Amino acid sequence: MTAIELDSVTKRFEDVTAVDGISLAVEPGEFLVLVGPSGCGKSTTLRMIAGLETVSDGSLEIGGERVNGVEPKDRDVAMVFQNYALFPHMTAERNMTFGADAARDISESELSKRAAEVAEMLGIEDLLDRKPAALSGGERQRVAIGRALVREPSVFLMDEPLSNLDAKLRIQMRTELASLHRRLQTTTVYVTHDQTEAMTLGDRVAVMNDGHAEQVAPPQELYDRPATRFVAEFIGEPAMNVFPVEVHGDSVVHDTGLEVPVSADEMAAQDGIDAADLGVRPEDIGIAPLDDAPAGTCTATAEVTVTEPLGDSLLVHCRLGDETVQVSTTPRATFEPGERVALTVDADRSHLFDRETGEAVYHAPKTAVGSSEDRTQRADAVAPGAGGEEIQ
Amino acid sequence: MAVEDSSITSESATVGLPDTLWVHLSLVVSIVLMGAPLLLALLMSTQSTAQIYDVTNLAPGGYALENYQSALFEYDLARYIVNSFVMSIIVVVGKVSLSLLAALAIVYYDFPYKDAIFAFVLLTLLLPVPVRIVPLFELMADLGWANSMLAITGPYIASATAVFLFRQHFLSIPSSLVETARLDGVGPIEFLVDVLVPMSRGMIAGVSVITFVYAWNQYLWPLIVVSDQQKQVVQVGISYLQSASQAGQTQWGLIMAGSILALSVPLVVLVALHRPLLETFALQQK
Repeated sequence: MTAIELDSVTKRFEDVTAVDGISLAVEPGEFLVLVGPSGCGKSTTLRMIAGLETVSDGSLEIGGERVNGVEPKDRDVAMVFQNYALFPHMTAERNMTFGADAARDISESELSKRAAEVAEMLGIEDLLDRKPAALSGGERQRVAIGRALVREPSVFLMDEPLSNLDAKLRIQMRTELASLHRRLQTTTVYVTHDQTEAMTLGDRVAVMNDGHAEQVAPPQELYDRPATRFVAEFIGEPAMNVFPVEVHGDSVVHDTGLEVPVSADEMAAQDGIDAADLGVRPEDIGIAPLDDAPAGTCTATAEVTVTEPLGDSLLVHCRLGDETVQVSTTPRATFEPGERVALTVDADRSHLFDRETGEAVYHAPKTAVGSSEDRTQRADAVAPGAGGEEIQ
Repeated sequence: MAVEDSSITSESATVGLPDTLWVHLSLVVSIVLMGAPLLLALLMSTQSTAQIYDVTNLAPGGYALENYQSALFEYDLARYIVNSFVMSIIVVVGKVSLSLLAALAIVYYDFPYKDAIFAFVLLTLLLPVPVRIVPLFELMADLGWANSMLAITGPYIASATAVFLFRQHFLSIPSSLVETARLDGVGPIEFLVDVLVPMSRGMIAGVSVITFVYAWNQYLWPLIVVSDQQKQVVQVGISYLQSASQAGQTQWGLIMAGSILALSVPLVVLVALHRPLLETFALQQK
């Protein structure tokens, strides 16, 4: 098992900086996912680890050795590409063995034995004689993964390997990849733009934006305690609601009069900021008809604009002052566009972000990861759909 | 809906017959016009000289065997065809191998002034052999290659067109294939032989056909550089037939038989490889 370490790694293409001083440590045997919007530098980072792009600045280590100038073939890494990168004129078996054949001295029989083992593991024994054109998308991807496995590399690199598959197959392959990694325990770096894939596969997830890592953390921590506003909005579907508030000592107040209490102790540490952005996830906002409105500070009146039934939950878009707020509620609730409703923010699950830097300045106490109280609370307070959102 | 549609089409087909008739008629006329020289040559190769000079006589004559036999053996066309064939094969193999290597270098290697070098290669298109004939002749004489197979093949081995076609084809191969090979440590020659060549089969066949026909049709350069009639190629061989006359009349039957013989070899190659050839041109249009 091999560790990878990136220390202030930078990649510049002429006058564009694609990766801007990223520092990451991938533990031996870990499954690390790089996730971010297109153009955030995640693929470039992966390609630098592979050696397909040179490193402009900083240091890159694989297995404790600096590999900045080392040829791709000498890094002992195997990569799975989005478009599978299978050789169209070779059979599936030859595709799987061709690279390993070139990489090192292996006898023909050893190689085909290994290919057969891998094919069995991936359930493609019957396809070995076929050429890629005669394989479906999922089968091709299996062959591509098989090729990487036959190499027995110390690091797997995967560049959006599931993006070309249809939704159903993608979910199936995702599960297979997860169990494959559990079995092999090979250090893996996986690039995706799909946050669900990132959350489900990664031991840890690095959320990237604009060439740097915003936060590197286990999936649930990303969701519960996002380090920046970007992470908060990127992770979670539908996205977290974020709107500007004024900070008044032990509470924050929105223009519409919505007031949410915050822990004064934590806010005191923030050195008297008077304005911030309040972040609340759609499932952490309660919605009720006006005459049913619970009394309390965290409530405000809003108008329903659109409702989206998602089956396991109902997503209600509301207009709160100038903001559009998304609220996730029980699937069979009846709200009509134009209706006036009362929104109640769960103060225990709110976040505050610095308006300038976007950094999180406050997380409500119950966002702490892993407390058993946290679990039961969530089950009570949150609409049934919420749990489904996370693991979709 | 579908039923209605089909009834409309069949109706308009019958009503519109005069229109399509004109189209077909003009197509037939142009095909006949284009095919006429070939058909006439084929016809004349069966006639005696007297029959040919009787212009209105368009019936096949009975002299086919005589004409072909005499062209092939009496006038040595068989030897010239073999010479042409050997020359063409050498040119095809040389040109394709060299162009593959050049395209490999231009597409997959990073070296300074890469684009300028490729532009320079393309620039050689402006200087075909006939333009360089005098200095080329001197060069062949200096090298001692004159009057040999080397002289009629050497100058044709390098080809900007083939380099260009292979380069375009290589560029259309997804870069992830190259990157996979790099990660696996596949060497450049191994990559060329095991990946690029099998993936370029259609393009190679297409370039080979074009090159074969082009080499086969060379006339001026062999005429100049080869002085030994035994080593001459078929196109020049046909011109030798012209000097054969019978009672002051050019033996057109003989010449036409020679011409038909000369064009039959590239025709066979063309028919055998027409599919990849069409692919090549389709790719060029991209």
